Amino acid sequence: MKLPEFEYQVPATVAEAIGLLAQHQDEASLLAGGQSLIPLLAMRLARPAVLIDINGLDDLSGVSVTDGRVTIGALTREYMAEESETVAETVPLLAAALPLIGHEAIRSRGTLGGSLAHADPAAELPAVARALDAEFVVRSESGERVIPAAEWFEGYLTTSRRPEEILVEVRFPVAEPGTGVAFQEVARRHGDFAMVGLAASLTLADGTITDARLAFSGVADVPVRAVEAESLLRGQQPSAELFAEAASRAAGQLDPPADLHGSSDYRKKVAAALVRRGLQAAADNAHERQ
Amino acid sequence: MTQIAAQRYTGSSVKRSEDLRILAGAGRYVDDVKLPGMLHAAFLRSPLAHGRVLAVDASAARALPGIVAVLTGTDLDDMTVRGPDPLLAMIGGGGPTAEYSLLATDTVRLVGDPVAVVIAESRYLAEDGCELVEVDYEDLPPVVSAAAALDVGSPPVFANLGNNIIGPHKRSEFGDVAGVFAAADRIAEFHLDVHRHQNVPMEGRGCVASYDADSGILTMYAATQGVHITRMGVAACLGIDPARVRVLAGDIGGSFGLKIGASREELAVAAASRALGRPVKWIEDRSENLTVSGQAREESFDVRAAVSDSGDLLGLDVSMVIDTGAYPVMGTMVPSIIEAMLPGPYRLAALGFESTAVVTNKASYVAYRGPWASETFVRERVIDLIAKDLGLDPFEIRLRNVAPRTSPPAMMITGRPLTGVTTRESLERLAQLVDVPAFRHRQAAERARGRYLGIGVATFIEAAPGPRAPEGSGGPLGQESMRLRLAEDGIVLLFTGQMPHGQGHQTTLAQIAADEFGVPFEQVRVVVGDSEAVPFGFTGGSRSATMTGGVTLHGARQLKAKVLDVAALLLEASALDLEITDGQVVVRGDPDTAIPVAEVARQAASGRFGADVDANLEVEATFDGGEGGWSGGSHCAIVEVDVETGLVKVERYVAAEDCGALINPAVVEGQIRGGIAQGIGAVLLERSAYDRDGNYQSATFMDYLLPTACDIPRIEIEHLETVPLDADVNFRGVGEGGMIVAPPTVVSAIEDALAPFGVRIYEQHLPPARILELIAQQA
Amino acid sequence: MIDITVTVNGAPRSSAVEARRTLADFLRDDLDLTGTHVGCEHGVCGACTVIVDGRPVRSCLMLAVQAAGHEVTTIEGLSPDGVLGPLPQAMRDSHSFQCGFCTPGFVMQATAFLGAHPDAGEQAIREALSGNICRCTGYQSIIDGVVLAAERGRADVGSDG
Repeated sequence: MKLPEFEYQVPATVAEAIGLLAQHQDEASLLAGGQSLIPLLAMRLARPAVLIDINGLDDLSGVSVTDGRVTIGALTREYMAEESETVAETVPLLAAALPLIGHEAIRSRGTLGGSLAHADPAAELPAVARALDAEFVVRSESGERVIPAAEWFEGYLTTSRRPEEILVEVRFPVAEPGTGVAFQEVARRHGDFAMVGLAASLTLADGTITDARLAFSGVADVPVRAVEAESLLRGQQPSAELFAEAASRAAGQLDPPADLHGSSDYRKKVAAALVRRGLQAAADNAHERQ
Repeated sequence: MTQIAAQRYTGSSVKRSEDLRILAGAGRYVDDVKLPGMLHAAFLRSPLAHGRVLAVDASAARALPGIVAVLTGTDLDDMTVRGPDPLLAMIGGGGPTAEYSLLATDTVRLVGDPVAVVIAESRYLAEDGCELVEVDYEDLPPVVSAAAALDVGSPPVFANLGNNIIGPHKRSEFGDVAGVFAAADRIAEFHLDVHRHQNVPMEGRGCVASYDADSGILTMYAATQGVHITRMGVAACLGIDPARVRVLAGDIGGSFGLKIGASREELAVAAASRALGRPVKWIEDRSENLTVSGQAREESFDVRAAVSDSGDLLGLDVSMVIDTGAYPVMGTMVPSIIEAMLPGPYRLAALGFESTAVVTNKASYVAYRGPWASETFVRERVIDLIAKDLGLDPFEIRLRNVAPRTSPPAMMITGRPLTGVTTRESLERLAQLVDVPAFRHRQAAERARGRYLGIGVATFIEAAPGPRAPEGSGGPLGQESMRLRLAEDGIVLLFTGQMPHGQGHQTTLAQIAADEFGVPFEQVRVVVGDSEAVPFGFTGGSRSATMTGGVTLHGARQLKAKVLDVAALLLEASALDLEITDGQVVVRGDPDTAIPVAEVARQAASGRFGADVDANLEVEATFDGGEGGWSGGSHCAIVEVDVETGLVKVERYVAAEDCGALINPAVVEGQIRGGIAQGIGAVLLERSAYDRDGNYQSATFMDYLLPTACDIPRIEIEHLETVPLDADVNFRGVGEGGMIVAPPTVVSAIEDALAPFGVRIYEQHLPPARILELIAQQA
Repeated sequence: MIDITVTVNGAPRSSAVEARRTLADFLRDDLDLTGTHVGCEHGVCGACTVIVDGRPVRSCLMLAVQAAGHEVTTIEGLSPDGVLGPLPQAMRDSHSFQCGFCTPGFVMQATAFLGAHPDAGEQAIREALSGNICRCTGYQSIIDGVVLAAERGRADVGSDG
């Protein structure tokens, strides 16, 4: 399983990278962490004519907080985000999801931007981004665009990034006080892609749910927000019965694909179980974080 | 107990000498071999499960810089001799033999079937070359299931066979089957399925073939369980004298039955090296390993059991179908071993057995750790299901049915004596280690809280090597040979046909020799992996502990006797008064007389002795296993099933095992744990899956799932007192037992956990989705 | 072909490589450091794990050219002159391995993990090793070896742990 030939480019600046993308368009692939792209190359399923290695673009790495938003550079390594106290405090749902991404060696190289641009619907970060309405900032020779998460994920391994654009950063809202989170997965083994995963966030004020976010991985070709379940939860007091009703509503909306690891029906059942468990865990987490 | 002298090393967990190189990163595996001028091979493989090859055009590939040659199936047919697979050739089998070319010429019979080999300056270039070879195929309807293959009208996978039934239906009876079934209180009927799964060693197959035109010698650097079987296979294929083939093997990254003889790819690479006059390396990648190297265990069973109302299993009548895939290797031999082993340690009075073997357009059925393991799965599932019908405890019903240990020993209805079998003792010990009543309390309490725990038990015996074979019936497999020599530097050299691939023979055999001969462990060296240096032998079938342990023991005694005869002359003493301790020959009770064994060897080689003295300090020993013996044991698993997700956690796993005397407890326990891990993997994670068109679906590690450190608990192992059978050699093999008995143990535990749902389990693969299906089916 | 220099086991090593060559193949074939093993070439089995700038990395998922200017440690680097370093020694003492093919990946993963978490207990060690696959051992002996290495490491440092 040896990689095929490609032209290899190492831009020294973001501007150079953008220039290469403008020149080669969809004949080029960007190489960030490589943890998703290199296996595809090894299996010769991906055949870019040009590979643009952006690992040297330090500008694209880093975590900063301004005006209630957390900006994470696209090239930030997953392990750095995992170790970041800023992320743990301001985007706890992201902090909850990061340790579940593969294994340590994958997170040494994998990047946030890479995972989100690859957009595997079974991956953790797309579900987190969707749950929190993250914003995706892309840049091209024409300038920058900001794309909300709801419009970023278009299909299986497909985003609305145009071939001449590079993802430069992703912005998350700072979690409100009273927020509790949970990221839960049903995977065949620890560290595997989830058969079904759930990013859950609850914000409580005076014992009442003021905000609820639920986004699934593994149930469609994109991460899926459980909007009906969320609206059911808003304004209510947490209870097992409420969570069970939310679970039923959330699962009822789904039409998951079948594959070697599970049928559509199986995924729906698991989705419901995850909502019940995830909401309880998020509610518990909200109390702990107070 | 064994009569081993001094026993300083035997029975203790001596640290492995192999680890010094392995842990330093200095192991020598076949992909580490580099020869001057070496080329690299990659195989162009069929994308179809079944098809005709109409045309192969390699011109574009040949034109690519760095591509040295492209050999098609026809090219290779012209330069080789068609014949059966080397393992098949060695162990025979009878029945119709499929005829086929080395690489596909006119027909491809599974996805991944090799059609051509590209030889290039690097593997990268060879794969580039494969993409440029154009093949015209005509699709043929694939035969993807045993059910389809049983239809004599199904498209024949092999033209010369006419249909796809390669092991025609045959039936045997032992005992009065009709009478036992007629008189039984009740007859229970089951259909049981074992799914396809596979060996998956961490190192795949591979070789470096190097032909030297001057000498006419083909040297094969191989990863193999036996250098001589590989040598015979290569020689036969190349049409040359076996003396012109030398097989060398270094460290091997696991095998579990996969790497025996020589695969079609390895033979093609050998032929290519001869044609090109340069060394050629082929290392299979993981996708090749998963797709075409071979798979195992796809068997189904229709079972009738004759049972008494008090839980006696009186008789079994079993009909099995085995799916041997394409290019049959040894699948046709498995049913007869299953037949022989089905009674297990129980007092079965009658057995009817019939089997049919079919070929299909899937990977070949290969030996996988305990190839006959399904006999234990079937027997233990049946016993459990009967116990449930009758309201009997799983320990209770087994103890009721175990044959008593008598003298002379009880006979299995299929003809082998259950000599020294300690099943009863292992069940009783297991019950002591696992407080079942306490577990039942906890189980009930947890069920009330909506958590589902279960406990499962299973017992097995394995022929490791089995009771003594009748006189003269062993053949080359019925004995192990060894050449032992005292070298002039004082090192005791053991030349053995054993080919360790994780079993630690270079440590365990040295332990025995060191104790028996009287030298420090570091003064013994075990030589393996050179067909010009070692006698015939191979590693497999859990034979080495007894056969090779035994030949080491007896050989070391013979060598010691020779050395003492020479030393007696040097010391002017009687050999009877001499002993060897710590590498010194000394007159008993007179330490001042000590001379190192190296000195004896140097004197012996010096020519000072006349022709009347046997100064050649070398012996060739053979050993047929002595009284042989069974290994066996009883295992217990406690699991928790999450009934909302179907995920299963193995909370506790206990094994009470008996393999006779232990040479090296750490090595024994490693073998047991590794086998159990594979059994747990088979039930919870591993399946070699095909779609309806014969496309292989488990071709990466993201789909063929192996258990990880989070899937296997700390396994508790209790070793039982041996029942000594032989005056000297009571080590018995443990290589396969864990993998044989773990699947029914875990399945039994899952079934127990799901008892409140009324679930009964008749299959071996229970991924999460299947568990939810089983629960839903009962609702 | 691209000229690269990589610091491997403390020494600068140079070669000319194609861009598509993986770090694993570079180490094994260009530098003759065959201690690092290739088990799957798609980043799942972990046999190819090495340490890059202090972090465990799957060398089959990194291009050799990406390692230029960086520091790589392989299993050979832990036992210079053939004398086993402390972690490999603890694993030998624990009979951690059988066929040895997965060994380099486990040793490097464990080295990186214990380096960052010297006080890790058995469960944390088990999880940290769950991305490396072994087919021979059932893992217990490997975990025992790493636990032993951690205990010895703490004893050496004089920790109270």
